[in-house]
Amino acid sequence: MPPRSAPAPGSTSSSGLPRASIPRTHADTCVDDRTLPVRPDSFCARDNYTLFQLQLQFFRNALAQPDQLRQRVAFALSQIMVTSGVDNARNYAMRDYQQIFLDRAFGNFHDVLAAVTLSPVMGDYLDMVNNNKTNATAGTDPNENYAREILQLFSVGTYLLNADGTRQLDASGKALATYQLAEIKGFSRVFTGWTYPTVVGVNARNNNPRNYLGPMLAVDANHEFGTKVLMNGVVAPANMTMAQDLAFAHQNIFNHANVGPFIGKQLIQKLVTSDPTPAYVARVTAVFDNNGAGQRGDLRAVVRAILLDPEARGARKIDPAYGKLVEPALYMTSIARATNAATDGVFFRGSSNSLGQFVFYAPSVFNYYPFDYVVPGTQFLGPEFGIQTSTTAINRANVANSLLFSNAIAPDATVFGASGTQLNLAAYQAVALDAAALADRLSANLLGGRMSPAMKGAIVTAVNAASATDGLARARAGLWLVMTSPQYQVQR
Amino acid sequence: MNNRREFLSRAGALTAGGLAARLAPISLLGLGATANAQAAPDYKALVCVFLYGGVDGNNLVVPIDAATYAQYAAVRTVASGVNLTQAELLPIQPQASGPYGLHPQLSEIHPLFAAGKLAILANVGPLNEPTTKANYFAKRPDNLFSHSDQQNQWQSAVSSGASASGWGGRIADAMAAQNTNFPVITSIAGSALFTAGGSTTALALPAAGGLALQGFNGGAAANARLAAMQSILAADRDNAYVDAAAGITTQALALSSVVNPILSATNSSVQALFAGQTSSIAQQLLQVAKLIEARAQTGARRQVFFVSLGGFDTHSNELTTLTNLLGQLSPALRSFYDATVQLGVAGSVTTFTLSDFGRTFQPASGAGTDHAWGNHHFILGGAVQGGRMYGSYPTLARAGPDDADTSGRWIPTMAVDQYGATLARWFGVSEPALATIFPNLSRYSISNIGFLA
Repeated sequence: MPPRSAPAPGSTSSSGLPRASIPRTHADTCVDDRTLPVRPDSFCARDNYTLFQLQLQFFRNALAQPDQLRQRVAFALSQIMVTSGVDNARNYAMRDYQQIFLDRAFGNFHDVLAAVTLSPVMGDYLDMVNNNKTNATAGTDPNENYAREILQLFSVGTYLLNADGTRQLDASGKALATYQLAEIKGFSRVFTGWTYPTVVGVNARNNNPRNYLGPMLAVDANHEFGTKVLMNGVVAPANMTMAQDLAFAHQNIFNHANVGPFIGKQLIQKLVTSDPTPAYVARVTAVFDNNGAGQRGDLRAVVRAILLDPEARGARKIDPAYGKLVEPALYMTSIARATNAATDGVFFRGSSNSLGQFVFYAPSVFNYYPFDYVVPGTQFLGPEFGIQTSTTAINRANVANSLLFSNAIAPDATVFGASGTQLNLAAYQAVALDAAALADRLSANLLGGRMSPAMKGAIVTAVNAASATDGLARARAGLWLVMTSPQYQVQR
Repeated sequence: MNNRREFLSRAGALTAGGLAARLAPISLLGLGATANAQAAPDYKALVCVFLYGGVDGNNLVVPIDAATYAQYAAVRTVASGVNLTQAELLPIQPQASGPYGLHPQLSEIHPLFAAGKLAILANVGPLNEPTTKANYFAKRPDNLFSHSDQQNQWQSAVSSGASASGWGGRIADAMAAQNTNFPVITSIAGSALFTAGGSTTALALPAAGGLALQGFNGGAAANARLAAMQSILAADRDNAYVDAAAGITTQALALSSVVNPILSATNSSVQALFAGQTSSIAQQLLQVAKLIEARAQTGARRQVFFVSLGGFDTHSNELTTLTNLLGQLSPALRSFYDATVQLGVAGSVTTFTLSDFGRTFQPASGAGTDHAWGNHHFILGGAVQGGRMYGSYPTLARAGPDDADTSGRWIPTMAVDQYGATLARWFGVSEPALATIFPNLSRYSISNIGFLA
C-alpha cells in the first residue's frame, strides 16, 4: 500500500483520527446543550421526555383559557382514571392521555372508559398492554391489574351501592362486595391480547414494543377466547371477536347500577363538596342513569346536575360538614386569579410538588389522595386532607409568601421563553391605606363576603401594624392573611 | 376535632389565655422549655417502614434447600421472568429451620441476620380471627386483594369494617403521657392511617430539609402579621373542614420551631452514615435518625415513626423493579441501623416492615405477579431476637394447603394483630392498653411472637 498522504489541515490529526475541533453533527436538534442563554432545544430531554412542558401548559391553560369548566371536569376525571409520570414521563404520551378527558369531559362516560381502556398509556400503567393469555410453557396467567382497578377505581368500586351512594348491607349489617376474585379473573381474561400500536416502518409483532401514538391493537393469538365470568352473574360468551369481547365487558361495567353513585359522588367531591348528602348523590345518580332523553352516562347532564343542585347553590352552606379543602393546584390558581396574575406556569409547577400534588405525577393509581379519606378526628369525608400535613400546610403559607412578597417570580433561566409570574395587587393596594376597607374588599373578592368579625379584626390590626403610607405592604399583609387562612382554603 | 384541641392545650397555644398568648412568637408557645432537657435515659422508638404496592415476599425470602427450591422454581419458572436463581440468593440459616436465601439486593442487611439483629416473620397478614383453608372465605377480611383495603387493614389491625385510626396512632395515644409536649408519632411519609390516633395527631415532616414558615424577619409588622395569623386560625372553627385545616396548621407552626433546627442542621453525627444515598427512603430514615439523635431537644421518650417506599406493585417487570427498590431499601435500613448503634440506642430502636399484601406465587403475564395476601416481613434492631424465622413459611404449591386460590395466595398463619402487639408490648404498652389497640388480639392464642427481648 502506498503511504498515506499528509492530512489536510483541520480534517484529521497526525494520528489519522478526525480532529476534535470540527463541530460534530447531531442526529437532530435535540442537543441538550445547557449553555446559557437557553435556546428552544437547550433542555431538550426535559422538555420532550418528561412532563415538564405539559405541567407548565396545565397551569397556563387553567389561568388563561376560557373553557374553565371543561378543564375542571377533565382534571377531575384524570384523578379518577389515573396514570402517572412516575411510571411514564413521555410528554407526548401523557398529552394524548389527558386529551381523552378534555375531549370527553361533556361526553358520555362510556366513551371515556372505552378510550381509557385502549390508551397505551393506561395499558402500560396497569399492565393491560401485552397481557397475554395463559402460557402453560412459561407458567403465566393473564395479568389482573387492569381488571381489578377498572372495577375498583374507574367505575363501580368495591361495595355494592344504593343510588344515594350508601352501601348495601346484608341481613347481618355487613357491606356487600361488588365482585369477587372470579370476576377479577374473568375481566383479566377479557383484557388479553392488546398490544402497542405498531411503530411506523417496523414490522408488527404480537407483543409490539413501546409506542403511545394511537390506541392499542388487537392480537388474536394472545387473547383468551373462552367464556368469562363478569359482574351481575353475566358470563361473556366464548369466541366473540376481541372488539366484541371488550365492548361486552365495557357494557357490563357501564350498565352496573354502581357507576352513577360511585362516579357521580366523586365528581361532586371534586367540583363542590367533600361529603355530599345521600340525597344529593341520589339526584346526580338519577341524571347519570337517565339524562332526561333516555341516555345513560351523559357527563354534560351530570355536571349540570352537580353544579345546579340546591346543595351546591347554597342550601347547606352553613352546615358544619359542607365544603372542601381546595386541592393544591386549584389553591394556587385561585390565588393567581384573585390577583390577575400573568404566568408561564414554572412557579406553579414546582410549587405543586411541595404541596403534595405534583401535576400528572400522582404517586399511584389511587391518586394523590383517596376519595374516601375521612378527616382525622371527624366523621366527614375530606379527600384533600389526605395530603394536608404539617409540611404541606406550612408550604401553602410559604407559596403564598413567595407570590405575594416578591415583586415578581423571576423567569427561570433554564426555560426558553420564560416570563416568570407577576401578580397585580392594584385592586387591593388602592384601598389598603384604610385597613377596614381592605378587609372588606378581601372579604368580597376572596371569601364571598363571609369574613367573620374576628377575622376582620385580626386583619385590621395586622394591616395597621404595617407602614401607614405603604399601600403595597399593607395589601400584601392582608392578602397573605386571607390566603393562608383555612377560611379561604376551604371552598364553600 | 378533640385531638387538636388536646394537643393545643398541651402546647399552651389556646389555654395560656387571651390575646397575650396569641401574640407570643411561636417559639414562646411552650415547646422551647424542653430544649435543654437532658436526654431521657428511658427511650424507645418503633420505626414502621411501609412498602407501598405490596412487596413480593415470595422473592424476598426463598427456600434454598434443593427440594423446596425445586418447588419454587417449578412455578416461578425462568421463562415466567420472576425467577431468582438458587445461586444468587443470599444464604441465611435460621435457627431450627432449613436454609433460606434473601433477595440478592438485600446484601447490606444480610449480615445482620447472622448477627442476630434481623428476624423474619413468615406469612403474616390481616385476619379477622385464626383462619384456615376450610373457613377462609367466610372469615376473610373485607375486599381481600384490594390495595387500599389491605393497606388500611395492615395499618389499623381492623379487617372488617372501617377504622378511623391506625395501630401506630393508638400506640401513640396510649403512650402520650411519656412525652412532655412532643407528639409520640411522627410521619416522614405524609398522612397514613397507621399514624392516626383517637386522641393524638401525627406530626408529618418533610422527607428532606426543614419545616419553617417563611417571610418573618422579626420586625414589628411581621410579628403582628404572625399574631393575626394565629388569631385567624383560632377563629371560625364552626365548619369541620376549616377546623381541621386550622388544627393541622396550628400544630405545624407550634412544632416547627422545635423540629426545624433539628432537621435543618448540617452537623448531625449520623449524616455521614447515609453518604451517597439519594433515595427517598434513605432521606426519610436520615430524618428519623436526626430526630432520635435530638431526643433531648424534643423531650421525647417514646416515638413511633412512619416512613415509606412505594412502587412494589410489580404486576410486570418484577425482577427489575425489585432490584431497583430493594437496592434502595437495603442500604438505607443498614445505615439507619448503624446510626442507632452510633447513637448508642440500637437496643431501643426497632424497625419493621409492613406492606399492602404479598403477591401471587403464580406468575402473571408480563414477568410480574398479582395481588395476594400473607407476606413475609423483617424486624431489625438491637433488641430483636434475630437470626430466626418466626411464624410458618407456606408450602410453595398452587392450590396447596396454604393457598386460598389456585394462584398461590397464602392464607396468613399469623395476624397483623399479633405482629403489632409484640412490637407494642416491647415499646411499653400495658396489657390492658394492648387489648384496646388490638381489639381482636384475644382471638389468637399467641399475643407475643417473641421476636423482641
